[in-house]
Amino acid sequence: MLKRYLARRLVIAIPSLLIASVIVFTLPRLIPGDAVQLMLAETSYAKDIDELRAKLGLDRALPVQYAEWVAHVMRGDLGESLWTRRPVLDELAHRLPVSAELALYATVIALAIALPIGVLAAARQDSLADYVARSVAILGLSLPSFWLATLLIVMPAIWWGWRPVTGFTDLRQDPVGHIVQLLLPAAILGIASAAALMRLTRGMLLEALRQDYVRTAQAKGLAQSVVVVKHGLRNAVIPVITLLGTQLPLILGGTVVIETIFGLPGVGRFLFDAINQRDYPVIQGVNLLVVSTVVLVNLGVDVLYGVLDPRIRY
Amino acid sequence: MSLSRREMLAVSGTALVAAALAPARARAQTPRRGGTLSLRLWDPPGFDHMLTVSYKTNIPLSFTHSRLVKPKAGPAIQPGTFPLEGDLAESWSQPNETTYVFKLRRGVRWHNKPPVNGRELTAEDVKYTIERFMTVKGNANAYMLRAVDRVDTPDKYTVKLTLKEPNAWFLDILASPMAVAIVAREAVEKFGDLKKPEAVIGTGPWMLDGYRPNVGYTFVRHPAYFVPGLPYIDRVDVTVDEDNASRIASFLAGKYDLGWENPGIINRTDWVQIKDSLRQKRPNLKTAEFAANVMSHISMRTDQKPFSDVRVRQAMSYAIDRQGILDATAEGVGIFNPPGVPAALKEWSLPVAQLGEGAKYYKYDPKEAKRLLAAAGYPSGFPATMCFTTYGSTILVDSMELVVKQLKDVGIDTKVDQKEYGAYAASCLIGKFDSMTYGPQTPFLDPDNFINQYVPGEPKNQSQINDPVATDLIVRQRRTFDPTKRREVIHELQRHLAKQQYYIQIPSGVYVAVWDGALKNYGPNVGYDYGGRLVAAWLDR
Amino acid sequence: MSTTATIDLNGAAPSPTLVRRGGGAKRWARALARFAVRKPLGAIGGVIVVAMLVMALFAEHIAPYAYDETIRGARMKPPSAAHWLGTDNLSRDLWSRVVYGARVSVTVGFATIALGIAVATAIGVSSAYFGGAYDLVLQRVVDAWLSFPYLVIILSVMAVLGPGRLNLIISVAIIAAATNSRVIRGAALTVMQSQFVEAARAMGCGHARIILRHVLPNVTATIIILATIGLGAVILAESALSFLGFGVPPPYPSWGAMLSGSGRTYMFRAPWMAVWPGVAISLAVFGFNMLGDALRDVLDPRLRGTR
Repeated sequence: MLKRYLARRLVIAIPSLLIASVIVFTLPRLIPGDAVQLMLAETSYAKDIDELRAKLGLDRALPVQYAEWVAHVMRGDLGESLWTRRPVLDELAHRLPVSAELALYATVIALAIALPIGVLAAARQDSLADYVARSVAILGLSLPSFWLATLLIVMPAIWWGWRPVTGFTDLRQDPVGHIVQLLLPAAILGIASAAALMRLTRGMLLEALRQDYVRTAQAKGLAQSVVVVKHGLRNAVIPVITLLGTQLPLILGGTVVIETIFGLPGVGRFLFDAINQRDYPVIQGVNLLVVSTVVLVNLGVDVLYGVLDPRIRY
Repeated sequence: MSLSRREMLAVSGTALVAAALAPARARAQTPRRGGTLSLRLWDPPGFDHMLTVSYKTNIPLSFTHSRLVKPKAGPAIQPGTFPLEGDLAESWSQPNETTYVFKLRRGVRWHNKPPVNGRELTAEDVKYTIERFMTVKGNANAYMLRAVDRVDTPDKYTVKLTLKEPNAWFLDILASPMAVAIVAREAVEKFGDLKKPEAVIGTGPWMLDGYRPNVGYTFVRHPAYFVPGLPYIDRVDVTVDEDNASRIASFLAGKYDLGWENPGIINRTDWVQIKDSLRQKRPNLKTAEFAANVMSHISMRTDQKPFSDVRVRQAMSYAIDRQGILDATAEGVGIFNPPGVPAALKEWSLPVAQLGEGAKYYKYDPKEAKRLLAAAGYPSGFPATMCFTTYGSTILVDSMELVVKQLKDVGIDTKVDQKEYGAYAASCLIGKFDSMTYGPQTPFLDPDNFINQYVPGEPKNQSQINDPVATDLIVRQRRTFDPTKRREVIHELQRHLAKQQYYIQIPSGVYVAVWDGALKNYGPNVGYDYGGRLVAAWLDR
Repeated sequence: MSTTATIDLNGAAPSPTLVRRGGGAKRWARALARFAVRKPLGAIGGVIVVAMLVMALFAEHIAPYAYDETIRGARMKPPSAAHWLGTDNLSRDLWSRVVYGARVSVTVGFATIALGIAVATAIGVSSAYFGGAYDLVLQRVVDAWLSFPYLVIILSVMAVLGPGRLNLIISVAIIAAATNSRVIRGAALTVMQSQFVEAARAMGCGHARIILRHVLPNVTATIIILATIGLGAVILAESALSFLGFGVPPPYPSWGAMLSGSGRTYMFRAPWMAVWPGVAISLAVFGFNMLGDALRDVLDPRLRGTR
């Protein structure tokens, strides 16, 4: 039963990936102006543009270029940047860990903030603590992240001549410094997610607590805390996992701003620059990778459901 | 009005004073070897300057590569001037107007990196570079050497260049950091092109040592550099930093030794805000101020109505409150630009006050603007669109908002068509727009490139100008070798263009060049030649 | 009770409830008063939202100056009696610009949400209603869209269409549509299981009738909640996009552009240039979210009866 469910989920994932690959390929090419015009800027004569385009293989028919790209991808070759000629896969290998770490720390921080506050707010629903907790959480979500980041970078510099570490430190060079430099940006990212997670936790917990089995537990004389944690939380976990799954593209996408401000060589900034420069191979490669990651993660989440809750098998 | 005489003198005076003081002090101390310089520069889109046109590439290559000739550098050089000296060329001569013979230095060694492996540079390398520059597919700067007919190497250390037609600016073109950095054939053959960091092999004072995309790179001293003893500075650490708040914080905390904007300056709007903090935190900073050679202008379709009528263009010039723009975006400090050549190139450019009949259009006079528009048949103005991209600069956006408002005040109801940079570069930047466009121009170091915008058929001719008088003067100055006479032709051109107002010139700001006091024998200047300005500088810390 | 568990994303999909008929202003007034008492935070949010709408609609009457009017001698002045929020580097009154900025945020926000939710409803309801292969295929396309980091889609679409208010609305609406369609589909699925729909089907009612009279009214609560919360997100998105250079282009003032543009440049000398738009954004997002939260608490009967 489970196996069939898993198999079905997997089969469904494949067309998603295919559709995504077509979108990934076509979308950047719809953008006016291409890489060659950017490379040659305002000094280009038409002849130069045509020559460079031909040299880079950009003058062939789109389906041909698409087919060639897919063939390369199957072989594990994501192509080279049009501008720097560095292999896309290499660049990603350097940057994905940075973004992944950032996302990881942000998620951990978000959970660390959201879960306790959500539980508190649910346990004391509509009390002052609940209001304060919710207000503070929503406030954290309401502040534009780049503004918060700017304040946190500039004010200490003015007051104390201190600046957070910008200019990236590698993990191998200085492990502690490496992790520390990611904490501030991760915290800023995490605060925004925390609000959504907190509201969800609170809502789910409230609903779970109203279920019959909880009343039974209470009737049995179990301590309130045990009831909340053991019964309430366990069932609230599933939607939270879902939300984490949907938050993932948000976090990965939301890192552009943070990466720019803190000078972190991550995937977000890489992709943003590539879009601006019409670096098609990079755009395609990064998008494909991110999309595949998300599809796989969602698949994993679906599977986790199937395992955790036998009712969910649609 | 532009800076008063006194202020103008003060501005150039500061530079002169700095220039006068510094050599004395430098002579009093002996240069020290060693030390690490920390800079903020840009992440180049590939290191092959013949395949991408970008200051982000030209600037790092100025550390690692040499040219035949280059502008002199040092505290004695007035910013905005570019007297030339030999770089790879020990001497040169010009037997006739179209022939140049360069005698190369002996014992110039390439960086000791494969596949060039530190061999000696010969005339063959120069020939190869120039020919690649002119023929490689996709070199947008190839037009710079279009006057070159052939390159010969009579012997191992002699290069003879024959031009198709005389070009008085030829040496300046060769000296330009945007142009011909000498590269090695083996590197191109091994790597296919020179985009990769491994292919950065030159004969310049520093070598590229480490490159981390989006993060930074390092230069280390080239032990076999052809000027004995140079460079003094052992290492240059370059950081890529794309956020202004982060740059301000880093500079305050002592991280960068030069101002973080091109060419080693701090934007006045930032400077004004942090200079008090800097006085406390970095009391030994040095500054110098000189006019910026980046000028913005409004281009318009002079080949169609309504802009084909010179009265409309003159009206637009009257409508712009240039001093008001300076007040709002540059703390009131700036300099008005005459047409064609920016005021910053003071050896060649005519001050606005001396433009003769055309000078009056620089006055802010909205009433007169409306009168001219009415005379041209537009008593209630006309609608227009302005193509624009932000270049990531809030100051440019502010100036654009002011320009649009000032045009609106005289009846030219302008709708802003803002484009993202890539789309802009593919359209408006090369003249494909319907009405007007507004933006900054590439900061060249010589007048010829600037006035090329007035020549029909050139991609830079955004206003679609076709003015035989102007074209004739442009060609004539290119053929006039005597600098004094050349200047006169350029001035005549500027006086003519001022009456025509093909481009509405917006004033340029005045740079605040900033550097750490520990950096000695450094003279700031405009242009991408960071390496040239730093090669003889040394660190006293 | 339905055994099909609908995955409750964001906890925003209430189970269906009988839609109350009948009006009467007095009833509305009483309902509002009850709402204000029971959900004070939501009431505060509501007040903020209404204030914003008023600013947007009546900007010309509220703002003392035009948004691009340069006032002689008033460059970068701090807040004072003459200029409540101070002036900016181009000598313009900040209070006026903030008021006109509300218009931009409201138009962009409401238009985006209206478009996005309309499309999301169409996708979600039809997907739930018709089911089968149609549902499968449509959801795969939605999946594909949702797998992308949202910024990538917005940037790509904006780069294709070019900057501009309309294009911003379209790009962000695309994201809003995809994200919200899932939740609406979930809510619609639950309704599909209910007895009204089964009965209507048994009676042979046409598709349109069932959708319009039974399904839609019962997902309305979900839609309202998604819309209010979504508005906050759109306003934030516009400010982030302004920072990246893709926001609402000048000369119309938008809070996001004011915050990320000159506001940041002059933040030391004139912090008020950025503080007030920042406060405006935060208040607006805060207000919408609080209102949405309170609405959900009220409209979701599973939580009713709890104090």
